[in-house]
Amino acid sequence: MNWRFIVKTIGMLIFYLGLSMLFPLICGLFYEDNSLIPLSKSLGITVFTGSVLFLFFRKARTESITHREGIAIVAIGWTAIGLFGALPFYLSCGFESWVDAFFESVSGFTTTGSSILTNIEGISKGLLFWRSFIQWLGGMGIIVLSIAILPFIGVGGMQLYKAEVPSPVPDRLKPRIRDTAMALWKVYILFSIAEVILLMIGKMDFYNALCHTFTTMPTGGFSTKNLSIAHYNSIYFDTIITIFMIFAGINFSLHYQMINGKPLSYWRDSECRFFLGVVMLLIVIVSFDIYGTVYKQIGEAFRFGAFQVVSIVTTTGYATADYEKWPAMSQSIILLCMFLGASAGSTGGGMKCLRIMLCLKYCYKEIFSLIHPHAVTHIKIGGKPVPEDIIRSVLGFFVLYMCLFGICSVLLAGMGVDLVTSFTAVASAIGNIGPGFGFVGPAENFAHIPAMGKWLLIWCMLLGRLEIFTVIILLVPEFWRK
Amino acid sequence: MKIIIVGAGEVGFHIASHLALENKDVVVIDSNSEAIRRVSDNLDVQTVTGSGSSPVILEEAGIKEAEIILAVTDKDETNMVASLVADILSPTTKKLARLRNADFDDFHVTFNKHAPHIDTLINPEIEVVKTIDRLMHMPGAVDVGEFADGRVKFVGIQLEKEASVTNFKLSGISSGTGIHLPLIAAIVRNDELIIPTGDDKLRAGDTLYFVSEDKKLPEAFAIFGKHAEPVKRVLIVGGGRIGFRLARHLEKQSVYTKIIEKDYNRCHMLADKLNKTIVLHGDGSDQELLREENIHDTDIIITLTNDEEINILISLLAKKMGVNKTITKISKFSYFPLMSMIGLEQIVNSRLSAINSILQHIRRGNVLSAISIKGDKAEVLEAVAMETSDIVDKPLKEISFPKGALITVIIHKNDIIIPSGSSMIKPGDRIIIFARKEAIPNIEKILAVKLEFF
Repeated sequence: MNWRFIVKTIGMLIFYLGLSMLFPLICGLFYEDNSLIPLSKSLGITVFTGSVLFLFFRKARTESITHREGIAIVAIGWTAIGLFGALPFYLSCGFESWVDAFFESVSGFTTTGSSILTNIEGISKGLLFWRSFIQWLGGMGIIVLSIAILPFIGVGGMQLYKAEVPSPVPDRLKPRIRDTAMALWKVYILFSIAEVILLMIGKMDFYNALCHTFTTMPTGGFSTKNLSIAHYNSIYFDTIITIFMIFAGINFSLHYQMINGKPLSYWRDSECRFFLGVVMLLIVIVSFDIYGTVYKQIGEAFRFGAFQVVSIVTTTGYATADYEKWPAMSQSIILLCMFLGASAGSTGGGMKCLRIMLCLKYCYKEIFSLIHPHAVTHIKIGGKPVPEDIIRSVLGFFVLYMCLFGICSVLLAGMGVDLVTSFTAVASAIGNIGPGFGFVGPAENFAHIPAMGKWLLIWCMLLGRLEIFTVIILLVPEFWRK
Repeated sequence: MKIIIVGAGEVGFHIASHLALENKDVVVIDSNSEAIRRVSDNLDVQTVTGSGSSPVILEEAGIKEAEIILAVTDKDETNMVASLVADILSPTTKKLARLRNADFDDFHVTFNKHAPHIDTLINPEIEVVKTIDRLMHMPGAVDVGEFADGRVKFVGIQLEKEASVTNFKLSGISSGTGIHLPLIAAIVRNDELIIPTGDDKLRAGDTLYFVSEDKKLPEAFAIFGKHAEPVKRVLIVGGGRIGFRLARHLEKQSVYTKIIEKDYNRCHMLADKLNKTIVLHGDGSDQELLREENIHDTDIIITLTNDEEINILISLLAKKMGVNKTITKISKFSYFPLMSMIGLEQIVNSRLSAINSILQHIRRGNVLSAISIKGDKAEVLEAVAMETSDIVDKPLKEISFPKGALITVIIHKNDIIIPSGSSMIKPGDRIIIFARKEAIPNIEKILAVKLEFF
C-alpha cells in the first residue's frame, strides 16, 4: 500500500476540515459568544496539522488508487476527521473529557445524533452551529464532497466513492464520478435551502432554521434545543420536518431525476415504493396504538406517531414525544424501525430498505423452491434481476450487522449498562439513529455511559456510517498483508 | 413475379416452397451451402450461395428485376443490412425484413415510417403468438383469422356428433331447427375441401370454416355446441422464442403461467426476463414433473418445443393426465389429418404463420391482409375493391367470379354485410374473399387495377 499517498490525502482532508471551521467562527463572531477562542484554536491546530501532513508527503504521487487504499483512506480519514472535529468541543467548556468530545464529534459526522450533553441550550451558539454543521457535512459524505470539489482526487475517485457509499446496487447519475458527486451535493444543497426557507416562513429564526436543516437533511438529529423539536410545539414545524426527513430518507438519485423533470421516478423505483409503503403502514399502526392510550385526539396521535416513526426509520432521531411512554406495540415498532433504516443512496442509516427487500425476497425464493422444486427463479428489484454476488454480499451484510450488534451489546452490557439500554444504544449507534430506549431514551442522553462504552459506541457509529465492510475490513489481518 | 429470399432457414424455406407452388420466380440466397442444397433438392427455385448483404450476391440473384426481397436470416442485423444494400441497388424493390428481437416489437411502426430502406418489418413469431392467443380463447376452434381490424373473424371448427345442426342440409337448417347459421365458407371432409351449396349436409367430424362478426361469435359457437371457458392457468412446454413471447403476452393478461424448459441456461434467461411466470427446469414429458406442478388443475397446455413429435406426445400425455385443452405446435402439413384422429384439435403451425405473415405483401392489388388456412389449401383475403376493378357497381350474381372463390363479407363504410346475389360492391369497400389455392391467380387479377393488364 502506498502509505505516503494515503497520509497525504488524509492531510488534505484535515486541512479542508480546518477551513470549514471558518463557518462556525463567523457565526461565533456574529453572536460574539465564548466559542471564539476554542474555535479559532482548533481551526489553527487542524489547518496546521493538515498542512504539515500534506507538505511532508507532498511528493507522494500515484497513478491510481487501489481498492484497498481507497478503503484505508476512507476508514482512517473518517476517524481522523472525527478526532479533529472534536477539537472545538474539547477546547470549550461543557465537555468533561476527551472521549466525550470525540463521541459528540463522531456522533455528528456519522449523522447519529446521540449526545452526551445534558443542557444543550447552555452551549454557545458558535459551537452548536459547528455541532449541526458537521452533521450536514457527514450526511452526504465527506469523501463524496471531496471528490466533488477537491481537485486532487482525480483518478481514485471511484475507489473512494465505493468505500464511502457502499450501496448494494450502485447507481451512477453521470458518466464521471466527479459529476455524480457534484450532482448529489447540488440536490442536497437545493433541498437544504428549501427547508431553511420553509422553516423561516413558520417564524423560526435564521440561526435555528439553518441548524435544524443541517441536521434534518443528513438525517442527523442534533437539535439546538434541550427538548429537540418538541421545544417549538408547532404542527407546522412538525409537518415540514417530517416531510424533509422522508425526503432525506429517499435515494438521492431519485431526487436528482425529479429535479430533471421525471417526478414519476419515485413511483417507478421499487425500493422507494417499499420504503414509503412501510412508513405509511407503520405510521397508521402506531397512530392507532397511541390513540386513546396516550393521546385523546386522533389528529394528535397521528401527528406525534408520524413524526416519531419517520424520525426513527429515517435514522434522524429528533423527538417530539417520549416514545418510552407509549404502549409496548408502538415501542416494538420503533425498535424495529431502528434496524430497517432508510433507502439506499439516501443520507439515512440502518440496514437500508433495499437490503431488507433483498433478504425478504431471498427468503421467499427459498420457500417458493420448496413448492416448485424445479423452478428457476431470480431475485428481482424493479423487474431487473439482481446478480448472485450482490445477494450474497447483502446476506453477508445482514449476518455481520446482526452479529456485530449482538457482540457489541454484550460488551456494553458487560460494562455495567442494563439490558435494554445496552441493546438499544448499540442498535441506535450502528444504525446512526440517535436515541435508544431505557437510559438512552429520547428524554435522556449518553453522558452516563462508561468511557469504554463510549469508545465502543464511537466505533459502532463509524461502522454503521460506512456500512460495516469498510471499517471491519481494517480488522482483518489479510488486509494488512503485503 | 420475382421474389428474392435471403436466408434459407425454417421460415425462408417454407415461404420459398409456398411461393414456388404458386409459380412465382423465387431466388433463395444463403451463405450456408448445406441449407442451399436442401432448398435446391426439394424446391423448384433458383439458389445463390453467399451473403445476402453483399451487393455482388444480390446483383447475381437479380435484385434489379425482383419485385420483392425478403430478408429472413437468423440475424436481425444481417436482415437490416441486406435491405439497405438492396435499397441502394434497386430502390423500387419492395423490401421486407424479419426482425426477431423482441426489443423491436414496439418500434415496428417507427421503423416502417422512418427506415426508408425497409418497407415492412415482419416477425412470424408474433403471428404464432397471436394465433395461439386466439385459439386459447375460442373453444374448439382449429383455425382463427382476423379481418377488418378484428371486427370480423374467420373461424374453423370441428363439428361434433352432439351438435344440433349435424345431418341437416344447409338450406334446411333454419327451417328445420330455427337456427340461423353463420355463412359457411368451406367444409373440410376426409382431407378434402368443399365449398358448400345448399344441398350439402353437415356431418359429425367435419371441419367447418365460417365467417362471423366478432360480437356474434359466442352465438355462433353455441350453435355448434361449443362453450367458452375462461383461461386462468396455462402451462407452456418449451421456452424458445415463441414460448417466451407467449409467456410475456400472458403475463400482461394476468394469466397464471408456468413454462417448462429443458435447457438450464435458457431457464435462467427466461427467469431474468419474465416477472410473474414460473420457470421450471425439466423435461416436458416427465410425468413426475407434470404431476408435481398439478397438471390436472391446468386449464390449457401449450406445447411449443422444436420437436413436433414430442409436442404431440406431451399433448396426449397431458390429456391423459386430465388437461382438457391442448394447443400443439407442429410444422408438417401432412400431420394435419392425423391430429383430429388422435384427438388433438387445436394446432398451431409455424410454417403457416410464416406464410401468413408475408402473404399480404406478396399479393397483387390492394390486399390488406391475407391468411392461408390449415393445410395450405385455401386462402382468405381482405382487399379494397378498386374503382377500376371489374367487380364494382354490379350485383354479385352478374360478376364472373372465378370458380372456387367466394365473397364472404362486404364492409361498406362501417357496415358488415353478408352478401346475397343482389348485393353490390361499391368502390372503396373492403371485401373478404375465400379462395381455393387454384383460384388465387384469378382473384389477384380481379383485385388488381385493370391498367396493369393493358
